[in-house]
Amino acid sequence: MARSRSRHWRVFFIVSGLAAILLAAISVIWVVHLDRVVRREFQGRLWSVPARVYAAPLELYAGAPISANDLEQELRRLHYRRGDPGSGPGFYRRTGNAFDLEARRVRFIDEARDARRVSIHADSASITSMRLADGSDLPVFRLDPPVIGSVFPIHGEDRLVVAPADVPPLLRNGIKLIEDRRFDEHHGVDLYGVLRASWANLRAGRVVQGGSTLTQQLVKNYFLSDEQTFGRKATEAVMAMRIEAHYSKEDILVAYINEVYLGQDGARAIHGFGLGSEYYFAKPLGELEPGELALLIGLVKGPSFYDPRKHPDRALARRNLVLKAFADAQLIDAAAAKRAIASPLGLRPPGGSYVPAYLDLVRRHLKRDYAEADLAGAGLSVYTSLDLRAQAAAERALTQNLQRLDTKAPVRGEHLEGAVIVVEPNSGDVVAVVGGREVDMSGFDRALDARRPIGSLVKPAVYLTALESGRYTPATLIEDAPIELKLSDGSVWAPQNFERQVYGQVPLARALAESMNLATVRLGLDLGLPKVATTLERLGLESSPTLNPSLLLGTVEMSPLEVVQVYTTLADGGFRTRLRAVRAVLDSAGKPLKSFKVQVEAVAPPDAVYELDRMLMLVPTHGTARGVAARLPKGLVVAGKTGTSSDTRDSWFAGFTGSYLSVVWVGYDDNRETGLTGAAGALPVWADTMASLKPVSFDPVAPDLVEDRWIGFNDGLETTPECSADAVVIAVPKDAQLPHNPQCSSASQAAAGEKNPAPHATAGEKIKQWFKSIVH
Amino acid sequence: MAILGTALLLGGCPAPWPRPTPPNGASPTPAVPPPGEPGASANPPGAPPAPRPPLTPREHRFSPATRALVTQAQTLLARGDIDGASSTLDRALRIEPSNPLLWVELGRVRLVESDAHQAEACARKALALATGDRSTQAQAGRLLAAALKAQGRNPEAQAVEERPYMH
Repeated sequence: MARSRSRHWRVFFIVSGLAAILLAAISVIWVVHLDRVVRREFQGRLWSVPARVYAAPLELYAGAPISANDLEQELRRLHYRRGDPGSGPGFYRRTGNAFDLEARRVRFIDEARDARRVSIHADSASITSMRLADGSDLPVFRLDPPVIGSVFPIHGEDRLVVAPADVPPLLRNGIKLIEDRRFDEHHGVDLYGVLRASWANLRAGRVVQGGSTLTQQLVKNYFLSDEQTFGRKATEAVMAMRIEAHYSKEDILVAYINEVYLGQDGARAIHGFGLGSEYYFAKPLGELEPGELALLIGLVKGPSFYDPRKHPDRALARRNLVLKAFADAQLIDAAAAKRAIASPLGLRPPGGSYVPAYLDLVRRHLKRDYAEADLAGAGLSVYTSLDLRAQAAAERALTQNLQRLDTKAPVRGEHLEGAVIVVEPNSGDVVAVVGGREVDMSGFDRALDARRPIGSLVKPAVYLTALESGRYTPATLIEDAPIELKLSDGSVWAPQNFERQVYGQVPLARALAESMNLATVRLGLDLGLPKVATTLERLGLESSPTLNPSLLLGTVEMSPLEVVQVYTTLADGGFRTRLRAVRAVLDSAGKPLKSFKVQVEAVAPPDAVYELDRMLMLVPTHGTARGVAARLPKGLVVAGKTGTSSDTRDSWFAGFTGSYLSVVWVGYDDNRETGLTGAAGALPVWADTMASLKPVSFDPVAPDLVEDRWIGFNDGLETTPECSADAVVIAVPKDAQLPHNPQCSSASQAAAGEKNPAPHATAGEKIKQWFKSIVH
Repeated sequence: MAILGTALLLGGCPAPWPRPTPPNGASPTPAVPPPGEPGASANPPGAPPAPRPPLTPREHRFSPATRALVTQAQTLLARGDIDGASSTLDRALRIEPSNPLLWVELGRVRLVESDAHQAEACARKALALATGDRSTQAQAGRLLAAALKAQGRNPEAQAVEERPYMH
């Protein structure tokens, strides 16, 4: 018995010994595994500095439409401070309309410019002159490119990563004070802290304190969900200790400052104090006041509970508690604490320099044009075409107009949505993108992703096809009369004009300006659907549209960005210009990885495009966009087209001046009817945006063989403005014979011919003669 | 009639879009366009755009700002810094986007970096913007001919060189 008992014991010892060894082995493997995970992740985060994204620098030159006040606003935006410019870069002095500025050292795409002293004179409308310190004339000078964000080009998160040297001492000490007093002593887990927290929780009967160290919080942010289980706690503790074993306290603190979760902006999580500072205060971290730092540090405990926008009272109380703690620990003096406690939260107004829709486009262009490996390098700089002033103008125009339109909407309580894109058509530079009315919310980007039927925006492609065919001029009469078509599926399609009227014989120019559906369908069928589709594709539509007759009325679905590409070609004399949000990417040494050069391609004959553009200039004066002049600077010549999809689900306007092209969409996200035509919904947004940009008039260069003539808008007969009240200007080939209005003498025409006897026969005349010689 | 007129633009030079060829391959004569209708300039704001005023043979120039940038770009190009030259011309284009001389400069840079296709497009764009300015047309024409030759399109280049404004 005794022997068998001792054998039992032996077996028991061996088994439990083996079990212990096995357990120890598993533990070791587990710890080693966690160690590797931690190191991989931490290493990756610590040294993957995101790419900094810059807006286009503001170019200053004599005549640039930038007033003295505009200039000061730009300097403020760039955090230049008023003061003695002799005291160093970043200071300026304004005396009346004269600025004395010590510009910082900056890197541009093409040069690294040293700090320099510049004096700039401006008046109430524009820059008048610029000089260097030695008195020499400075013909052109650009301000610092503003930072608009940071992206990890590969995984797409945005951060404003703070380098160790840029962490304000109060932030460093404040975080430790509030979140982890024994940070400098412990090894990742603070047993004393845990005991203290447990005791406090026990006394309170609920969880009032967390014992987590900064390191544990960091681990939680990196790897773990929020669930509170023993297993998770154990994992967290082991990981925290492994991090402490491998990295310095400084690395850990900086990583924490760049990682901690501070709030939610729609779908975007605000991580890190750099981004938090930008998001809540629109300031760089280094410029925060003690009260502002205290608010951010206080938020760590519960970003949604203390959300200063939703719960300002809680946030204020929390901030003041933190400020008192600062004062008690003598991080700030009592007077400063008192001042800060008395001050308001100081949140920035919504809107501002955060441009999620634009960054979205930047990310897509990076993905499109770069290999992933190229973007993996640390510390890239991405230079974009964004013009912050154009962006602000577009945001303001959209939000203000949508608020106004909401009150008139058929459905109360529903919020209209919209999108605006502004480009510089010659270079293809995308200068502004607004993806929705909540301009600083990321989320569904309507400018890029809302593909909607474009309605009458398609019509210029039909009319361009007509002009290119050589069979039509803008004066050619076409029939606006009912039409029924049997479609391939057996159904009958009977389009109607928007006003349900029928206009009979109308010149091409009027049919387009007034956006007549019947005339357009007839014209398009005469030309052939494939021809129209090809024109659309040449202009820039990337997918082939379905060849259904309703294509002629714009059932084709496009995003605002795609519409921009098509219209850019029209604004640009038939040259298709590749849209460009990213101009260049430089590596951390300032060497360009690749730059995006202006790329143009001739895709449509300039004469036909010129004739079409002349017709598009009638839309705002005689057509569906009549009345827009009231919202524009006096005398500004613009061209464009309204679009309204069936049952007014989508309201569009695409148009251009000599400086910018903009496309605006307005509608509901759930695609219900808006009751708004393109002219009522999108056009005011377009006009207000354009008006703020101080553009020059659209003034296309007439190709050699095209000339401008007067015709009657209603009858298409050649006339003079003195004779016909409805006289409008169109462009036609120089040798085009237009029928004259019999009531108007053709004297002016004849006189013009006599006054300008052609020095020698033009080529057109030569052909005419040649043609006659055959006919006769 | 329209077909004959439209057929002649860029006469003798095949364009990327289909268009009828003029019977005798004649190049357009850059005649001075006739003056606009009388009273055109007295249009009230918001009224229809008037015909353009008589297009006096106008010579394109650089503004002081773009002149400085073009000089800088040329220096960079001479140094072999093609990207720098491109970016500098980009700045100039933002200031004067429809100055044909800038498109000629940009096309020259493209030619140096052996992108004859883009050089050709820039030259065509310059030509489209240079109506009535023979000196600029000639510069753009020379660039176009060079860009075509670089693509082995010698007959087209030859046709460009024979255009009236080239002499």
